[in-house]
Amino acid sequence: MRLSFPYMGPTIVYKKLFELLGHDVVMPPKPNKEIIDLGVKYSPEFACFPFKVITGIYLKLMEKNVNTLVTSGGHGPCRAGYYGEVHKKILKDLGYDVEIIVIDSPHDDYKYFYDIVKRLKGDSSWFKVAKVIKTIYDLTRALDEIEKKIEVLRAYSDSGKINRIWMDAQQDFYQIKSAAEVKEIKNKYLNKLEKFKTSIPPENERYRIGIIGEIYVVLEQSINNQIEEKVNRFGFEVERSQYLTDWVRDNALPFTGKDLEEIEAKGEEFIEIEIGGHARGNIGHAIDFKEKGFDGIIHLKPFGCLPELVSQSVMDDLSEKYEIPVLTISIDEQTADANVLTRVEAFLDMIKEKDYREVM
Amino acid sequence: MKNRKIGIPRALLYYYYFPFWLKLLTELNLEPVISDSTSRELLDKGVKKSLSEICVPIKVMIGHLINLDQKEVDYIFLPRFRSIRKGVVLCPKFLGLPDMVKHSLPGLNTELISDQIDSKNDNIADYSNHQKLAAVLDIPKKEMKRALKKASEFWQRYRKLLYKGYLVDDFAKIEDIEALESLISKFETDNNLPQSKRKKIKTAGKEEIVDIALIGYVYNVFDQYINMDIINKLKEMGVRVHTFSMVAEEIIEKELSRLRKPMFWEFTNKLYGAAEHYFKNDKIDGVIHLTAFGCGPDSMLGQILEVDAKENNKAFMTLRIDEQTGESHIITRIEAFIDLLRLKKEKN
Repeated sequence: MRLSFPYMGPTIVYKKLFELLGHDVVMPPKPNKEIIDLGVKYSPEFACFPFKVITGIYLKLMEKNVNTLVTSGGHGPCRAGYYGEVHKKILKDLGYDVEIIVIDSPHDDYKYFYDIVKRLKGDSSWFKVAKVIKTIYDLTRALDEIEKKIEVLRAYSDSGKINRIWMDAQQDFYQIKSAAEVKEIKNKYLNKLEKFKTSIPPENERYRIGIIGEIYVVLEQSINNQIEEKVNRFGFEVERSQYLTDWVRDNALPFTGKDLEEIEAKGEEFIEIEIGGHARGNIGHAIDFKEKGFDGIIHLKPFGCLPELVSQSVMDDLSEKYEIPVLTISIDEQTADANVLTRVEAFLDMIKEKDYREVM
Repeated sequence: MKNRKIGIPRALLYYYYFPFWLKLLTELNLEPVISDSTSRELLDKGVKKSLSEICVPIKVMIGHLINLDQKEVDYIFLPRFRSIRKGVVLCPKFLGLPDMVKHSLPGLNTELISDQIDSKNDNIADYSNHQKLAAVLDIPKKEMKRALKKASEFWQRYRKLLYKGYLVDDFAKIEDIEALESLISKFETDNNLPQSKRKKIKTAGKEEIVDIALIGYVYNVFDQYINMDIINKLKEMGVRVHTFSMVAEEIIEKELSRLRKPMFWEFTNKLYGAAEHYFKNDKIDGVIHLTAFGCGPDSMLGQILEVDAKENNKAFMTLRIDEQTGESHIITRIEAFIDLLRLKKEKN
């Protein structure tokens, strides 16, 4: 079994997971223009952008003789839960002999889930699996912890230097084999970042932007036009509503996401029931960011995203009621970097200007 | 006491449930007020007030709500359709529709009644689905239950006629409950078959009759303005039109059970089951998938149908409608499609 998976966020986490379980893993390519073009060509026109990107990644992987693709499923009503099934159709229609393993919730089909777990587990013992999962979870948390620091420090320091550290850290994490090593590397890089802390200005001069939205475009820097770096460049700190740890806690580890649930429940004020995706949670996060004293919200969504369109519809009202500026950006294959940059710049300028006037 | 006026937008699931709602409100001594048929003006207003990238049917719905608001009704009934089948929901936009309307249409003066509909099957007549309606209008539970029962029976008679081969189109123009009742009674005893079942229909000259399955949601297929009256255009070309609402529940179930994982959206599943049924049906010459700009579930369904049509060797075409579709483009495309099918048929 030569396997791979879609590219999203810190992919080393998935790679490590399968590698430690003893599989032959091919690293998926990072989305770029070529991959996006390829995906757009072979996807339905109105499929959401993440779908097209993943199509492109899969097709690119076909060149590397991958015979198994592992992806997550879901039970909707967001379209993402059905990606796997449609990708199967597309790849088969194009003549590729590849198996797509969709990991669905065990609640949906227990037997199917168990079969998949057994296959992915391979020859490893259950004890080893538990150990691997612990290591991977620690790795995810370590990555997220470092990234959160980066998103603050990059606003005040040379972004080149900080990015270098971030890249080195990810490189180093590739080599880990145990939870102890994760800790060691994590501390090494946290120490490196420590000396930049002096650049952080006093509290009243700090500006913070919260990024909310659909998980793929929020997590995947290569398709959201490196929005965090852009915001940082203008001297604003960034925090996202979602990190990979949150996703893991939400989906794979029961009883660990209590605090998240509380935040997400705040969205009820605007969206009364769960409508799929992270729409309601995002509204909750927007309110939460305001309560934490953030200065603005950037709401990212793929063009035509079903749940996020609902949250976008209520966003104006939210912005007015909670007095927090919101900028919604739709992302698809036609989003131009300069466009995003201009809009972000104007938005951030406005926030500073507003603040300045209030002080006067 | 003057009857209170309850507005019902002629959009989205209106085409599926209107006999139910008309009967229910009449039984409760309320006056149902239906918004005008979709028109340029109405649609423009809806487009102006909605997000640009949202799907056309939602824009149409917004237009109808604005239209009702101007009719000075006492309330607008806009239920939140969550589920009409165990374990399957509707598109996220249906789930969030009342929220969207509440927060993005600040100009709307009429109070909305948004009951949440959570039903085990198509028949939504459960009291729990109408609690808010009963509460706001101060209707006793017993009275509500009685009216719901009547409405449900009436709706089932209508549903049966659809299974028999009648189109929603044959009824949808009627707003008057008495006229609707007499039409349903007439069809029930009629010796004439519905158009889709007739052996002979009018064609130009001695052309072959073509059978087309028009796959699409009720609010796209039966809103004559938004789809440029496609059904009548097809009929004029000598086409027998078949839609998903004619396919029996069991057949759809059977088709769905072949999937490892059915889709999450109830009507998309219905369309899938019906389309697969028509793909295998030798009497059907071609399948047209009528979809609206920006429809998310259809982007998935469309891809699946395209591949499956190829496998079944069935002619297949996707027609996309949006708020600015020119009429000539629809005509050209369906004409070309029908002509090809007819040519193929005449050759054999």
